[in-house]
Amino acid sequence: MSILYSFKVAWVALKTNKVRSFLTILGIVIGIAAVVAMMSLGAGAQHLIVGQIMSMGSNNIFIEPGAFDPKKTSIMEARMEEAEIKTLKISDAQAIKNLPEIEEVAPFVIGVEKVIYKDVSKKVTFIGTTPAAHIIEATEVTLGRDFTEAEVKSQARVAVLGYKIAQDLFGNENPIGKIIRIKKTNFRVIGVLEERGTQTFMDLDEFVYVPVTTAQKLLLGIDHLKWIVAKAKSKDVIDEAVEDIRLLLRERHNIYNPTGDLTKDDFKVMSQVEAANILSSVMGVFTLFLSSIAAIALVVGGIGIMNIMLVSVTERTKEIGLRKAVGARKKDILYQFLIEAIVLTSVGGVVGIVLGILGSFFGSLVFGKMLYMQWKFFISLKAIVLGVGVAVVVGLVFGIYPARKASQLSPIEALRYE
Amino acid sequence: MIEAKDIKKIYPGIVPTVALDGVSFLIKEGEFVAIVGPSGSGKSTLMHIMGFLDRPTSGVYKFRGKSIDELDDDQLARIRNKEMGFVFQSFNLLPRTTVLDNVKLPLLYSGIAREQQDRMAREALKKVGLSHRLFHYPNQLSGGEQQRVAIARAIVNHPSVIFADEPTGNLDSKSGQQIMDILQNLNDQGHTIILVTHEKYTAQMAKRIIQLKDGRIVDDQIVAHRRLAKDGLIK
Repeated sequence: MSILYSFKVAWVALKTNKVRSFLTILGIVIGIAAVVAMMSLGAGAQHLIVGQIMSMGSNNIFIEPGAFDPKKTSIMEARMEEAEIKTLKISDAQAIKNLPEIEEVAPFVIGVEKVIYKDVSKKVTFIGTTPAAHIIEATEVTLGRDFTEAEVKSQARVAVLGYKIAQDLFGNENPIGKIIRIKKTNFRVIGVLEERGTQTFMDLDEFVYVPVTTAQKLLLGIDHLKWIVAKAKSKDVIDEAVEDIRLLLRERHNIYNPTGDLTKDDFKVMSQVEAANILSSVMGVFTLFLSSIAAIALVVGGIGIMNIMLVSVTERTKEIGLRKAVGARKKDILYQFLIEAIVLTSVGGVVGIVLGILGSFFGSLVFGKMLYMQWKFFISLKAIVLGVGVAVVVGLVFGIYPARKASQLSPIEALRYE
Repeated sequence: MIEAKDIKKIYPGIVPTVALDGVSFLIKEGEFVAIVGPSGSGKSTLMHIMGFLDRPTSGVYKFRGKSIDELDDDQLARIRNKEMGFVFQSFNLLPRTTVLDNVKLPLLYSGIAREQQDRMAREALKKVGLSHRLFHYPNQLSGGEQQRVAIARAIVNHPSVIFADEPTGNLDSKSGQQIMDILQNLNDQGHTIILVTHEKYTAQMAKRIIQLKDGRIVDDQIVAHRRLAKDGLIK
């Protein structure tokens, strides 16, 4: 018996019970749609975040306190927790700047404080750094000016505001020259940054920038740094630069580490490219996790298929008997019902893929709006291939039992069945 | 052609049911045999065993010299497909499937080329006088027409034997006559026909009557005054 004929019989059988077929494949549709949507959105998110990191300048190198811990590789994680290790100093940043591969270096400290202007107060993240930060991050001061090296040296009480915080505090007023209070200290606003949007889920327009020395002494009461960003002169020297920074810091921190064992250091050095790769793989795992939850729907859908195929075999017992009487072999009946199950799940798969793509399209619109980001809509080809493949496999796995049952019916018992 | 020797069929159960209790006979090519008896006499069971649809509990059953014991299920299916045709009391046509496709059904399992399938099915339908109903569905036909489709399906693969299990049982007398006429014609053309019936009148259209009672043959003789269905039609 030809395969084509089996498809025709399957199609007729499914058309006959339209509502039942529809309800049966609903589980598969939802499962496949969820998997496709998750994978497509995941790919979009991955693209977005990696793209943003790379847009910050692919020549950048991050230096953070704390030894390399294979379990905690994300920069975000390290930034979020309080750095207990206090060995990274401004003098380290200055020394790094003297390395031949390095073009620019910016030290960073970070904290959260309430900012007050007149009767408006707002909790903000302040960042202590040097003018080099805005060169490295390629950000421009659109109103007023950035602070200078001299102001960093003299611990000047000046602040450069992010675009949004300037709006929140001053509205239409010109903020330049105005005095704001951060932790009982008066700061003079000297500049406002351009609008930058969100990056890795942080709103960059809500930061307040002050000289690093001022932040350390007056706001945080510390003399160490939270991280350093160094910009290499070119892409080609990044690896050398990373290695030189490690050697330099070991020497400066008196760490004896001739084998280069990263867990012995009290700092981490990571290039932008590495950071992007790590973040990307973390996102990949996350996507996989979400997709596998969605895949549970597929299993449930598959059980629905098996159930309805068993009903179908019972209903068509007489037909099976007749087919056997006129010469159908076991294998002919087996294929017929197996193909019917696969046609069911494949139709479900195709509908699911369409719904999944639509879902991820609207999802990317909504997320883009919510996070003020250019969320790129992705059709994950992998997800489509996987979706169809999984649909067929589900049909096979859950169709085999009913199909076997049908094929093993004795012709005469099947014919007698009422 | 058909050889049965001491065939028994016992259905297991708390009280086992004996459907056939030692049946022996020979049927030669070209015969038209009616198997008659009251309900429960084992005539349908006997036909199922003869048609390779069921296996006897004991005894020897040979079709064209091949014993059922030597054949596996797939080989039985192949013989049913090539050598046997079945006509049932309840027609057993596939619903939502055209007359032509219903008739083609045995050919789908016989490895015959698609173009030839169409030709053979049309030819079989012509023999039963239904060439004008090729693309109708079974529920659009009368009972008599449905049974004629079933006969076309039974003869489409040119089988040597046609098994008919109460073919007129669900039909009015006029349609029944028509069916019997077709079967007699097929017999004249050389098909061996095994007819199961409980109507004496219908049985007398065969050439030989085997009478069963309680799973045993109580009578087996040639029909002396054979009725011709077409005479009945004229009446």
